[in-house]
Amino acid sequence: MPFVESEGRPVEVNEEGFLVRPEEWTEEMAKHLARVEEGLAELTPEHWAVIRYIREYYLDKKLAPMVRKMCQATGFPLMKIYDLFPSGPAKGACKVAGLPKPDGCV
Amino acid sequence: MSALLRLFENEVQIAALSFMAVVYVVRLAWIFRFKTRRDRTFAAGDERAGAGYSLMNIAMPGAMESTRKRPFFYAQFVIFHLGVAAAIAGTFIIPYAPGLFRHAVLVRLFRAVVGAAFVVGLIRMGRRLTNPVLRTVSSPDDYFALALLIVWFAAAVLAMPNRPEQGEAPLIAYFGLTAFFLVYVPFSKICHYLYYPFTRYYLGRSLGHRGALPPAVKAKEPA
Amino acid sequence: MTRRRKVPSAVVDSPLDTRTQAKAKEDRLPSVEDGRLMTYEAGDNVGRFLALLAGRISRPLAVSMTACVHCGLCAESCHYFLTHPDDPTMTPVWKADQIRKVFKRYVDWTGRIAPWWVKAAAPEGDEDLNRLKNIVFGSCSACRRCTYNCPMGVDTGLLVRFTRGLLTELGIVPEGVFNVSRDQWETGNQMAVTEDDYLETLAWMRDEVRTELGTEAVEIPVDKPDCDVLYTINPREIKFDPRSIAYAAKIFHVAGESWTMPKWGWDQTNFGLFSGDDRLGAYVARNVYEAADRLRAKRIVISECGHGYRSTRWEGYDWAGYDQKRPTESVVVTLKRYLEEGRIDVDPSRNAEPVTFHDSCNIARSGDLVEEPREVLRRVCADFREMHPNRRENFCCTGGGGLLSMAEYRPLRLESAKIKADQLRATGAKLVCTMCHNCVDGLNDVIKHYQIPMKVVQVLELVSNALIVPPRRKA
Repeated sequence: MPFVESEGRPVEVNEEGFLVRPEEWTEEMAKHLARVEEGLAELTPEHWAVIRYIREYYLDKKLAPMVRKMCQATGFPLMKIYDLFPSGPAKGACKVAGLPKPDGCV
Repeated sequence: MSALLRLFENEVQIAALSFMAVVYVVRLAWIFRFKTRRDRTFAAGDERAGAGYSLMNIAMPGAMESTRKRPFFYAQFVIFHLGVAAAIAGTFIIPYAPGLFRHAVLVRLFRAVVGAAFVVGLIRMGRRLTNPVLRTVSSPDDYFALALLIVWFAAAVLAMPNRPEQGEAPLIAYFGLTAFFLVYVPFSKICHYLYYPFTRYYLGRSLGHRGALPPAVKAKEPA
Repeated sequence: MTRRRKVPSAVVDSPLDTRTQAKAKEDRLPSVEDGRLMTYEAGDNVGRFLALLAGRISRPLAVSMTACVHCGLCAESCHYFLTHPDDPTMTPVWKADQIRKVFKRYVDWTGRIAPWWVKAAAPEGDEDLNRLKNIVFGSCSACRRCTYNCPMGVDTGLLVRFTRGLLTELGIVPEGVFNVSRDQWETGNQMAVTEDDYLETLAWMRDEVRTELGTEAVEIPVDKPDCDVLYTINPREIKFDPRSIAYAAKIFHVAGESWTMPKWGWDQTNFGLFSGDDRLGAYVARNVYEAADRLRAKRIVISECGHGYRSTRWEGYDWAGYDQKRPTESVVVTLKRYLEEGRIDVDPSRNAEPVTFHDSCNIARSGDLVEEPREVLRRVCADFREMHPNRRENFCCTGGGGLLSMAEYRPLRLESAKIKADQLRATGAKLVCTMCHNCVDGLNDVIKHYQIPMKVVQVLELVSNALIVPPRRKA
């Protein structure tokens, strides 16, 4: 599996660009993933609101949050999540937040 | 005609044909032992139309992209199988309707068709020996079956004038190979013609039931 | 498999990963405990494989095994081979031969007596079975394009599904396949969405539509009996992108439809189609049919999903042994009917950007819908253009057959997607419309990988955009 450089350390990602070991995630990693995978040159506070919510939810429940919860917690409508993360909540936001790839055909 | 040739033209052929027929009956019984499952859904099309369209596949090169894009390949297929038909016909004509081959025109026609099939056979053997995909998947049976047919076509072309007084070797070869061919066929890929009605019928019926075949509108090529 | 010839091969050499299987056993999941969901056990797997093969082979499959004459015409119909022209292991004939050789060795005649003569061979150990898993799960999307191009009518797509089913019964599957199967067995839906998640999301989308139309009259009824339509969806619509639910709700409202969604049995997708597991296929499909029975719905409508359509409209009835009683249709057919009957009005100028249509394999090749989406699109779009080839000759999005759930095979499938990329680019369209959620993700992967300036949309979205809402339907 490929490795990416983050803060001088190699971090392993799977073929889809998701972190193999979610515990290795850092905020620097998020910026890197956002740039490379989502084409986002920088992350605004709105991006971070989504990312932090997802990260906390995952650390607590070991699951990716449903998009409804993301919208509720951040107050953003669904369209906004798609505007912020072009690949969508699963492949975009969850990936940047360092979650493993969600199961299923998606 | 020598007694040997007469034997080959008659008893040997009949024995080989009977053997083949018996094996075919057993083979068909074997096929029918496998189960089918009925369709429990409402149809979106016509099963019989689908089956019919599917069975007609070999006569419709425009129906599939693969044959549409390779018309020369399809033409070879037609010639080759016409050659098979002609060569088989010859094994019945010579012993049972030899009058037909006293017409020079007919003999020439048959020899031309089988001769063309012989050439196609060589082309196809060349392909099977050089095309990387075919080399990877072909089995000894694939090569042997084709080689057998090529030699058989050659023997047929030589034998069809049906003049045993000028040398019986071509005729003995022709009928000998035919007998071998008839006995070998049920255990080889050559009996694919036995399976063709089954595969095409089941596929056509299923896709006909679903309204996928026959196509209502042909896929349009770019202008 | 005695003498292994060196052929170039892009077949992914992925080992069998049973970590999530081990966890499922450890957690004593009901579906594992009672043998509905099979896990890998060391032992005589080859013996079990051969017994399953002999026991399960049907007549159509048996003749597909025997009828192949190795003509090679299928090779150029396959997107894997077309993009790897130097690799014979990417051809349908070679892939089918990997199970055909076992049939020839164990079930057929000549192969049992002189196996080398017809290249018959049985697998020799779990390693061979694992390799077979990588071939049938990882280098084929079971799109059946080869089936349509075979002069003998050999159904390689179905042979691949059959082989997958044998391996699934032995737990020799990619991890992603096990995980999704587990979720669908345990929760009734492919993505482990809970009932609360489901109901909350429906309520949320109802509220969105109410806001948009400015009326409280919009409903997304759940478990309402005696309706005309039972609407079933893909769990992806709950978990990741519920906009399609909102579009459907809005259109049903404007059309004045009598509809409901079931509380249980709402998942029209069916991983049994991909894993080759008829048992799972039967369970999931039956949930939908019985929901329609329970609620006395007059027809079942399936949201836009390719494999879900094929499974719920076609295969599921056979898997479940359930005779079809009520019309079961794709929502695209429903939309076409609304347009033809004047139940909804549309303004195509609202979809001004050029749109092309991608035919999903499970809908076009394994199903009946080819002209229907086009008839809808021609009415709701200003500039509709075909890609080439199209209809039943279109190419797979490359994400089919469950490949999207198997990360290890992604690099190979993205290579095979070059054909799709070229097709898309050649249309000059800005949007590509598809009736399948899987294709949405598959095409998005292609678009991202090949950097094509296009967006993927579905029919519901385009119809919703073009929808003219009459005054009586809003505040």
